[in-house]
Amino acid sequence: MTVAEVRARTAESRSQHEVVDTGGIGRSSSLKELEMVHNQAAVDGEAKFRLGSMSLYYGERKILEDITMDIPERKITAIIGPSGCGKSSFLRCLNRMNDLVEGCRVEGEVLLDGEDVYRRECDVTALRQKVGMVFQKPNPFPKTVYENVAFGPRILGIKERAQLDEIVESSLKKAALWEEVRDKLKEPALALSGGQQQRLCIARVLAVEPEVILLDEPCSALDPIATQRIEDLLSELREKYTIVIVTHNMQQAARISDYTAFFLIGCQGDPGRLVEFGETGTIFTAPADERTERYITGRFG
Amino acid sequence: MATREKVGVSTEVRPKLREETPSPKERGKRRSGQFLADRAATVVIWAFALLALALVALVLGVILWNGLSTALTPSFVFGKPQAMREGGGIWPMVVSSFYLAALTLLLVIPLGVGAAIYMSEFAGEGRVARLVRFGADSLSAVPSVVFGIFGMVVFVIYLGLGYSLLAGALTLTLLNLPTVMRSAEEAVKSVPKSYREAALAMGCTRWETVKKVVLPVAMPGITTGAILSAGRIVGESAAVIYTVGLFVRKVPWSPFQPAAPMAANIWHMYTEGALVPDWFRVASGEAAFLLIVVLVLNLLARLAASVVRRKTGYRT
Amino acid sequence: MTSISREWLVRKTLMVTAMVVVVGLALVVFFMVKESLPAFRKAGPANLFSATWNPREGRYGMLVFLVGTLTTTAGGLLLGTPLALSLALFLTQVAPRRSRGLFSRAVEVLAGVPSIVLGWLGFTMLVPWIRSVTGSSGSGILAASIILAVMVVPTITAISRDALEAVPSSYAQASLALGATRWQTIFRVILPAARHGILAAVILGMGRAVGETMAVAMVIGPASVFPTSLTSPTHTLTTKILMEMGESTGVQRSSLFAMGLVLLFLAMALVVLVRRVSKARRYEGWVE
Repeated sequence: MTVAEVRARTAESRSQHEVVDTGGIGRSSSLKELEMVHNQAAVDGEAKFRLGSMSLYYGERKILEDITMDIPERKITAIIGPSGCGKSSFLRCLNRMNDLVEGCRVEGEVLLDGEDVYRRECDVTALRQKVGMVFQKPNPFPKTVYENVAFGPRILGIKERAQLDEIVESSLKKAALWEEVRDKLKEPALALSGGQQQRLCIARVLAVEPEVILLDEPCSALDPIATQRIEDLLSELREKYTIVIVTHNMQQAARISDYTAFFLIGCQGDPGRLVEFGETGTIFTAPADERTERYITGRFG
Repeated sequence: MATREKVGVSTEVRPKLREETPSPKERGKRRSGQFLADRAATVVIWAFALLALALVALVLGVILWNGLSTALTPSFVFGKPQAMREGGGIWPMVVSSFYLAALTLLLVIPLGVGAAIYMSEFAGEGRVARLVRFGADSLSAVPSVVFGIFGMVVFVIYLGLGYSLLAGALTLTLLNLPTVMRSAEEAVKSVPKSYREAALAMGCTRWETVKKVVLPVAMPGITTGAILSAGRIVGESAAVIYTVGLFVRKVPWSPFQPAAPMAANIWHMYTEGALVPDWFRVASGEAAFLLIVVLVLNLLARLAASVVRRKTGYRT
Repeated sequence: MTSISREWLVRKTLMVTAMVVVVGLALVVFFMVKESLPAFRKAGPANLFSATWNPREGRYGMLVFLVGTLTTTAGGLLLGTPLALSLALFLTQVAPRRSRGLFSRAVEVLAGVPSIVLGWLGFTMLVPWIRSVTGSSGSGILAASIILAVMVVPTITAISRDALEAVPSSYAQASLALGATRWQTIFRVILPAARHGILAAVILGMGRAVGETMAVAMVIGPASVFPTSLTSPTHTLTTKILMEMGESTGVQRSSLFAMGLVLLFLAMALVVLVRRVSKARRYEGWVE
């Protein structure tokens, strides 16, 4: 089945929805107003994720609508947009963390390396090891620094101490935390500073050797210096990993990302939509959509 | 290109934390036993949960099966108790239970609510507060039979009340005080701080604030706690047997009279059953009736909160 | 001026009501000690803590009953804790939202069943059943343990449920996002994080089992000797007090109060233990 066919079928289902939807009249007009501009930039190299007309529902509520984009491999893709536009929900579609939300449903395609993440026989745990996630607030386990990093490998069944030691050390080094915590491995992770905790969470993700790292506003709880270190770290990690970062900080997106996607909702209660996606330089200097420009120049959001 | 079948079908709802069972070739580096273990643990936990549910059903079912027909007979509930003869009722015991509960609540609610207000509004974190906290914790852990023999020594003998409703009520007051206090404190603490600040800012004293703002808002919680403790009082026997009595023929009228709450009377039937030919029927009926009373009180506690809330119009 | 003095009066009155628990506790301790003094004076501790109860020959040993209390409590916890913990895990981690209400309502109902009613159930159903299966008298430690298990389940379930609910969901999210399965998350993250709360729940359940009287009294005996098997009659501290307080005088009565004192001591020890655990719980984040 081709993308076009899928689109056609999704469009069909969408029209069904508007019939069912009680608030349909007011909503459909705002939908028209928000007609998406497909600024599908030519992505260099391979696409890690391919999204085709993806929509997300929490129960009856539509959170995201008709997202179509490619997330390029070994690049940093930033997701920007005003709060409440479904950026975090979008991120959680990629590693199926949305499954934890009761009544959550995804329509359309989410392909990782060409395989649908939402296919029935998909191993969610393997998916989440392949697609790691770092959360808004640093959330180390109430365990030691060492045990935090060793958690993932242990889950995978690695028991030998030497092997674990090696993984912990290399992961902490990759996360640029090793020098700071090498003498504190047996100390509680919660004793570290906020920025260190967040880098520990990144090390914890790196320990299971993911291919993609999703970051959900990873610096929103951190001070500027800690933020700087995380940004430096992400630039280093770009070489090896596909990184998707949600941020409310446009300067951050401009500084570190290769590609940028701009999400927006029409008005309260509407689903979020992808307004524009392209190379970061283009988005920030010559956006195709007027709304993107208004947002970037700080006129709303 | 791989596509899912359900594109365009919008009926499927993903359940929370659903089973993660991939096909064998999908497992990748995952150790094969884990999915089996995960599935097995889920089955085990469901089995335990259903076992617990069955247990509750069994307890209620057997008690009601054995005694419901008796308990629903008016001549049993409203009848006079008999010795040496069949066909006795339990009316004096029913009255005793409710009398005792009312008397106890009369004593324990003012004390419990007063203590709760003191602890949440006035005490702070000082020495008195710590002492009261320790006292309440310890008192709530004291076995009810210890309260029973304590009440016997102090109220029945030392104060000379004899086996009486009052001696029992005083004993049960002490027994229930920590729980009433705790539930009242929770209710009082759930009142938003902003309400208090609003009242204090208008020039109310602390006590006026408590009386006019905090208490009305906390009322649903306090009522629920009170009804729940009524259920506990009605069901209590170990603390009652040596303070109130086990068996009476006549309905007690004065708090200074001995009485026989149902819970204690079941024990009487069990130990002295030989005196009553149909003791098994009486005890079964009494147990079923007692269970119904307690269940109804628990249900009432739930309802009362919402009724009181609607009347006062406050929300916490 | 009048409003200030009224405020003072109210404050003092409220303080008095709060002090009732302290005074009450002091009175309970005082009278237990006072009433059991004659037993300690006339019979002596060696006699009181011996294994022989025979008042006619001046033997007031409570060891049999103490052992009865400890074994039935252990048995009740052994049977009840797994069930209660599973229930708490079920209610917090596994149950679909719709059935959660049913199960938690059922636990509440069980918590409300009066102990005398459970005892009556044990006497009319459990004991005859054990009797027919084992061919023994039916009453004894086994029956008492089963009844106590039923009694501690609501307590342990409710408190460990609170403890499990208090575990921040960010822990579970982090674990799941790392590709852990649901049960790996529960066993490696959620349970360890809630362990102090669960321990407190078990200790409080233990307190309930130690102090339970009526339900145990109807299924355990009566006999004032060590049981020869799990299904031979014996006594616990509470049931012995219950059975004999009515018709005893002098040193015998006083030795029953001594048993009450021991119960009081056990209960207070458990309270102190729970407070220790809760204090440790405040440092829940600081592990290993």
